[in-house]
Amino acid sequence: MAPVTLRKLVKRYGALDVVHGIDLEVKDREFIALVGPSGCGKSTTLRMIAGLEDVSGGAIEIGGRKVNDLPPRARNISMVFQSYALYPHMTVAENMGFSLKIAGRSADEIKTRVEDAATILDLGHLLERRPSQLSGGQRQRVAMGRAIVRQPDVFLFDEPLSNLDAKLRTQVRTEIKKLHARMQATMIYVTHDQVEAMTLSDRIVIMRDGHIEQVGTPEEVFQRPATKFVAGFIGSPPMNMDEAIVDQGQLVFATGIRLPIPPRFVGAVRAGQKVTFGLRPDDIYPSGHGLHAGDAAAVHEINLPVTITEPLGNETLVFIQFNGRDWVSRMLNPRPLRSGESVPMSFDLSRVHLFDIETGKALGA
Amino acid sequence: MKLKKLSAPVLLLLPAFVVLTAVIVLPLVFSFYSSFTPFRLTKPESLWIFVGLRNYVAVLSNWDFWIAFGRTVVLLTIALNTEMLLGLGLALLVNKATQGQRLLRTVMMFPMMFSPVLVGFQFKFMFNDNIGFVNNALQSLGVTDRAIPWLIDGNLALVSIIIAEVWSSTAVFAILILAGLLAMPKDPVEAAHVDGCTPWQTFRYVTWPYLMPFAFIAMTIRSLDVARAYDIVKIMTDGGPAKRTELLWTLIGRTAYADARMGMANAMAYVAILLSIVFTVYFFRKLAAARQQIGAEW
Repeated sequence: MAPVTLRKLVKRYGALDVVHGIDLEVKDREFIALVGPSGCGKSTTLRMIAGLEDVSGGAIEIGGRKVNDLPPRARNISMVFQSYALYPHMTVAENMGFSLKIAGRSADEIKTRVEDAATILDLGHLLERRPSQLSGGQRQRVAMGRAIVRQPDVFLFDEPLSNLDAKLRTQVRTEIKKLHARMQATMIYVTHDQVEAMTLSDRIVIMRDGHIEQVGTPEEVFQRPATKFVAGFIGSPPMNMDEAIVDQGQLVFATGIRLPIPPRFVGAVRAGQKVTFGLRPDDIYPSGHGLHAGDAAAVHEINLPVTITEPLGNETLVFIQFNGRDWVSRMLNPRPLRSGESVPMSFDLSRVHLFDIETGKALGA
Repeated sequence: MKLKKLSAPVLLLLPAFVVLTAVIVLPLVFSFYSSFTPFRLTKPESLWIFVGLRNYVAVLSNWDFWIAFGRTVVLLTIALNTEMLLGLGLALLVNKATQGQRLLRTVMMFPMMFSPVLVGFQFKFMFNDNIGFVNNALQSLGVTDRAIPWLIDGNLALVSIIIAEVWSSTAVFAILILAGLLAMPKDPVEAAHVDGCTPWQTFRYVTWPYLMPFAFIAMTIRSLDVARAYDIVKIMTDGGPAKRTELLWTLIGRTAYADARMGMANAMAYVAILLSIVFTVYFFRKLAAARQQIGAEW
C-alpha cells in the first residue's frame, strides 16, 4: 500500500520559487501523469518525490510516512530516467540485478527476479549485452526492467519516452500501460506530451509555472478544462479560442460576428463582460460532416471561407477564417474543398467553453 | 634534374624529415652505437673501439644498478599511489564545491607551475635538520625535541623525496580525475541512489568505473615522469646519503658526466628505458580495458 501525498510542497532555488506549495493525493495503485510545458516544475516535483532534490517547504508522504529527509534508498521507489541512466560498465543482467545485489540478496534470488523481469519485457536474449550494444528502445526497456526488479511501492517515470522515435514511443507506451496493469503499483509519470498523459493515466495533473492548474481524469480535463491554459494544453489540434463580449444574450466578436450564449452559461456571465470563447476542432465542422449527432437545436451555422485543408485520410483538418483568425475544424467523411471556397460551418454551441478573461478560470457549470 | 621527380607530398615533408633526422634519429643511433663502445668523454678516440655487449653485461651484473632500478620502482609505486589517492580526494572535494570552483582548480595547479629544481631547493630547505621549517614546526608543537635528520638518514631521505614529488605532482591526478568527474553523466549516479546505494557504494560501483580511464591516463603520464626522476633528487640529496637515494637517472647522470663513462651510461639508459616502456604498455592496456568497460566513445 503506497499512496503518495504532497502537502504544500515548495521548491526554491535561492530567491526563485519553482514549485509553489502544491497539494496532491495520489491513491494507492493509481497511475498519475504530471504534465505541463517545460519549466512548469513537474520534473522538479518528481525528483523531490524520489529524494534527488531537497524539499524547501511542505511535506511528502509515501505510504503514510513522511519522507522529506529520507535519502532515495530509504523510500522504496524506482525511477526510470529520460536518458535511461543505465550503468555502462555492467551487462543488462547486472544492471537489472544491481539494486538486489546492493540489498544483499542471494545470487539465486537475483537471477530468478532478473529473469522474470526479462521475460515480461522480452529482454531474455539481451541479458549478457552491455548498454552500448543496445538500441534506444531496448535501453529503455532495460531501464524499466531495472525498476520492476526492485518491486518498489512507487514507480517514478521522468519523460521516459522523449528520447525514442515516434513509432517506438507508441510501442513502449503500450508496454508501460501493460506494466501498470500487471504490477498493481503506484506510478507517477512526468511528460510534456499530453497524448502520453491522456492514454496512460488514471488521473492527469496539469501544471504551469509551479502551480497545479487542474487534477482530473483524462475525460474531465478534456471535457471540462478548469482554466483557459488547460483548455489550450490538452487536445490536439488545440482548442480554438478568441475574445468576445457578452451583449444582450449573445457573444459579440471583434469583427461583429454574433453567436447565441448557450443556456448553461446564462447567469454565469453578465452583460458587457469580456470572456474567452473556446470551441474544440471536433465541435466545428462543415455541415453534414460532424463528429457529434448531438443536440440539433444547439448547432449554429455560419458561412466561412476555407484557408487551407490538411487531409489525414479518414478525416481532414479544415482551416477557416473566423473573426480574422485561422480556426481549425475537423471534417469527417471528407469531401474535397478548395481554398477560398465559402462553406457552411456548423458550430456545436452545446460544447462551448467560456473563460474569464482576467483569471482564465472556466465560467458556467 | 632529379629533384623534379620528387612528388609534391615528399617535397613538402622533406624539411620535417631532415630536421627530425638531425635532432632525433641521428643522436639516437649515435647513442645506441656508443653503448657498444667504452666511450669516455675524456678519451674521444675510445668512441671507435667496438666492444660488443660488454657494457650491457657489466650493467646487468652491476649490483648498484639493480638497487637503483629497484629503488626507482619503489619510489614510483609509492609516489603514484599516494598521488592517486590524494588527487582523487582533492578532485572529489573540488567537485563538491558549489562556489569558487574555478579558483580552487587554479590554486590546485599551483605546485605544477614551479620548476622541479625550485621544488627541490624548497624542500631541501624545509627538511634541513638545523634550520628547516619541518623540524622547527615539530619542535615548536612539542612533537619531538630532537632534530630529525630528514635528508641525512637514508630511509627518511627517500621519504622526503617522495613527499616533494607528491606535493609537486598530485595536481596531475586531481586535474585529470576532476575532468572525468565533470564529464561524467549525472543520471547513473542518481539511478544508483534510487537503486539503494549508500554514498560509498555509489562511488565504488558507479563513479569509480567512470573515473578509472582518467586515473590510468594520469598514471601513464606520471609513471614516465617519475621513472626519469632526476632534478628533485639531484638537488635534495644528490643520490646520498651513501647512495641511499640513488635512482636510475641520477646513477646514469653520474656515470656519464662525473665518471665520464658515456658508453656505459648509454647502455644503462637503454636498459632503463625498458622500465618506462613496460609501465606505459601496462597502463595503456589497463586504460583500454577501462574504456571498453564504460563503453566510452572517445
